[in-house]
Amino acid sequence: MNFVRKICTIRSQTPSTNFSRKFRISTKNFESSQATQPQVQDDKFDFEDLKVLERQERRKPQIKPFIKDVFISVFNKELLAYPEILNKEESECLAARVSALEKVFYDKSKTKEERKMALNKTKMYAAPVSLTNNGLAMNHTESLQYLEVIANDVSLGQEISDHWVGLEAVRKGLEAEQYQQIIDDLTSGDRPLKLCIKEKISERITQADFRTYAELDNQGIWRVTGEKVANSDSINGYLLVLCCLEGDRMKAFLIHPDASGVEHNGVFVNFKQAPATPLSEISEEELARTLAISRLHAATLCRTALTRAVQSCVSYIRPRVFSGKPLSELCTIRSIIGDAFMDIYASESTDYFTTGLLDGYECPDAEMEVAMCRNFMVDHGISNMLKLLAIPSLEQEEECKQLLDDIRHLAARGENLGSINMFIALNGVQHAGQNMASEIKQMRNPLYHPLFIFKKVMQNRHQEKDDPKLNLFLAEHLHPSLRPPSEQLEYCVLRMRYACETLLGRHGADVASAFNELNRLAIAGTEILAMTAVLARASRSYCIGLRNAELEMKLAACFVETSKDKVRRLIKEIDDGEYLNLDHFRVQFGRKMLDANERLTEKPIAKSFW
Amino acid sequence: MAARILKTFLRARPSIITIKRFESNEKNVTLYDPFVNKPQKDKKTYLEAIKIFETRDTRRRGHVEFIYAALARMKEFGVHKDLEAYKALVDVLPKGRFIPTNIFQAEFMHYPKQQQCAVDLLEQMEDNGVMPDSEMEQMLLNIFGRRGIPLRKFWRMMYWMPKFKNLSPWLLPEKLPEDTLELAKMAIQRITSVDPEVKLDVWQTEEIEASLDKTWVVSAQSEVQKVLLAEQPSDIALVVKGPFSVYMKDQVVTYFTLIGKTRPEPKDDKDIDDVSDLQKPLGIPGFIGSTKIPSVKCSVHEQDDGTIVAVCATGTSSRDSLLSWIRLLEKYGNPLLSEIPVIFTLSAPSSDIAVQETQPAKQEETTKVNT
Repeated sequence: MNFVRKICTIRSQTPSTNFSRKFRISTKNFESSQATQPQVQDDKFDFEDLKVLERQERRKPQIKPFIKDVFISVFNKELLAYPEILNKEESECLAARVSALEKVFYDKSKTKEERKMALNKTKMYAAPVSLTNNGLAMNHTESLQYLEVIANDVSLGQEISDHWVGLEAVRKGLEAEQYQQIIDDLTSGDRPLKLCIKEKISERITQADFRTYAELDNQGIWRVTGEKVANSDSINGYLLVLCCLEGDRMKAFLIHPDASGVEHNGVFVNFKQAPATPLSEISEEELARTLAISRLHAATLCRTALTRAVQSCVSYIRPRVFSGKPLSELCTIRSIIGDAFMDIYASESTDYFTTGLLDGYECPDAEMEVAMCRNFMVDHGISNMLKLLAIPSLEQEEECKQLLDDIRHLAARGENLGSINMFIALNGVQHAGQNMASEIKQMRNPLYHPLFIFKKVMQNRHQEKDDPKLNLFLAEHLHPSLRPPSEQLEYCVLRMRYACETLLGRHGADVASAFNELNRLAIAGTEILAMTAVLARASRSYCIGLRNAELEMKLAACFVETSKDKVRRLIKEIDDGEYLNLDHFRVQFGRKMLDANERLTEKPIAKSFW
Repeated sequence: MAARILKTFLRARPSIITIKRFESNEKNVTLYDPFVNKPQKDKKTYLEAIKIFETRDTRRRGHVEFIYAALARMKEFGVHKDLEAYKALVDVLPKGRFIPTNIFQAEFMHYPKQQQCAVDLLEQMEDNGVMPDSEMEQMLLNIFGRRGIPLRKFWRMMYWMPKFKNLSPWLLPEKLPEDTLELAKMAIQRITSVDPEVKLDVWQTEEIEASLDKTWVVSAQSEVQKVLLAEQPSDIALVVKGPFSVYMKDQVVTYFTLIGKTRPEPKDDKDIDDVSDLQKPLGIPGFIGSTKIPSVKCSVHEQDDGTIVAVCATGTSSRDSLLSWIRLLEKYGNPLLSEIPVIFTLSAPSSDIAVQETQPAKQEETTKVNT
């Protein structure tokens, strides 16, 4: 396969454009940078339209999926202008609600009941519901703002996240009449919606992975039978249960409170012929998209947990001294706090960048971005948390335990890192496969296509040397001082196509079973999304003169530098293959451990003769 | 002195030297054998005999012949795998006397008969898998010096023997158990080690009233095998195959397998080069895997010639004991065996194939007569 990469063709580009770009003739760029220029839009008001009662969404026309295209090294430069979703009135309204919530949630003396009351007062239980149904018609950007405050109470944060996602699914899935009947009860806050999706891993080879099923009884009522892992302790509210039907189809069902046949057993909920209402108006894909928003919420919850850990550490460090100097002067401690700060900044940028995609465009395809937001924060959050909690050591035992348990619970809640990484990678590779199908076919049959192979070898000669030609010119869409980081981002983006090509060329249609390599691809993609969001945010902040914007610029440059190295290593490992990156051996060791019933290696002091 | 040695050396014809060397290497057995008259043949008496030889004559005449005789009798006394016995034999050789004092002695095999004797002793140790230790090295050094041939043999042994000692992936104890049941347990454990989940059971055939052979049964079956057995259609017979042999050092254990039907191979006729329509997951958070059960081969027990659903070794390896094994399997977690016919294809008994329709206990007597 490497032979294929030895040839490379020169991409068709206009020489004059390249010339002008090299020599910074700025007037030449006016076309490409037009997208990031402020655009004046004429709002048309139709005063006779009764829908003005509802919230008007200002969505731009549909764009191609952003991160999916990154997998084939196509970059939508328009998005380097960080999305701005809310207008002045909306922002003011949001700020008022958030400050009302902050008063309750930042005050540690408030009880859970008081907090719940505050949520009710601020209409949080009805937030995603339309204005005509006494809701707030909240969009995703606003939901993160609210959740950041609510997440200070971890259990309430999880509850409200499930409730919002479930409400949206119910709105889309139930018939209008049924929806109107239950919406008031649903939004009262007394019995919030809970999600029941995850199941136990099967323990027998004759068990399917997903076993909860629904069937119609004689009276035409759907009955749900199965067992689910419950995310929360109590099940007094409405339950949204995912079931399989005959013929491998999936459908969500709503189980009302106090329904018969529902039993709570520790972290599991058992359903025995429980009556349920089907969400028949929503397709499987739409259901997946709707429920996936819980990943975005999980990222926010994790980030808030990490922020709390940073605050806890800071309050521990400040009054303490070491060798007669303040503890805060220790470089190692400062760097740990700095790392956490950088990751929090990156996660925040990525989350709001993604909500910008979801709220700002028609028919957004941002499932991958949403999944990446969660994985980025969970992955970085756990490692940062461990480092942070090592600072107070065992002095603040209870608080540390709680913080660690919170992030562990949030990280494993619903799904784990590996399965999301697989989702990200398989989506990306599928998109790349669609775009590169003919190329891959030719690459995998080189003797039938000698000319193509020669071309390919020429084309990839820079990629082979790990030095792709930077021809995306991302720096034109960012603040000039971000030129070096933008080139690092460009390098990463350009390497992605090569990584996909290598993977598909190596495994063909069996790529779905190359888990280790797909995992790397997913992590690389996630880092690229974070790099993009961070650069866009820092550039915007600096351009519009936000407070401490210069710090943001430094944060961005530092983050991109670190991430670039990570992406570079990951893609190099993909390119190297399982023997050079030692995957083959690690897998063998793992297999030996799993197969052995005893200790594999002898003790270090063991002898075979005396 | 040196001139005289050189003169002798030059005068001697090489052919004579060679012949003489071989002559001196002949193993002559002494007429007096102290080991013959021992009433009880064990390690203690063996070591006593060596001690008597050592104390009888301070000059230890005939020690080479004695060692050869002792080596030949080791198996008889059951000490052929005992390092202590070999060390006692080496200790018979006098210390210091055979160490070459000049370059010629060192080069031309000083005391060849004695050296050859020590090499033969080490050879026997190697054949019996007895690893020498550093004390033995010291003894050989004291006897033959560091240029002696036995030392070279010893060092070669110490290079290779530790490497081979633990090469087998199935660790066995230094001394195998005498009890056949324990041995059978180890054997079955070894052949079922392919699946770490396999559970070993020891049953007595007395539990089955109709059994003729009263013996033990070591049966191994994992949960996966139970499920695979439960999936066996009742119209397709199970087959008991065997006896197969598994070697534990120098011991052989016979075992039998119960074979069920094989599930089909996974069919894969997709074009591996076509990546235009790759599968992607649905993406519902928390939903992974599939809603269907795979109906194709996927466990290690499913081999090309059948699915191994259980393995056993019995005390007698008789057909009756195997019949009891099937009954015991039925009793302990495989109720489906009462409905499925079992065919015995055993090479050991003269009648080769026997069909056993497994029916309730009453009819067992009659069916056993048929078999």
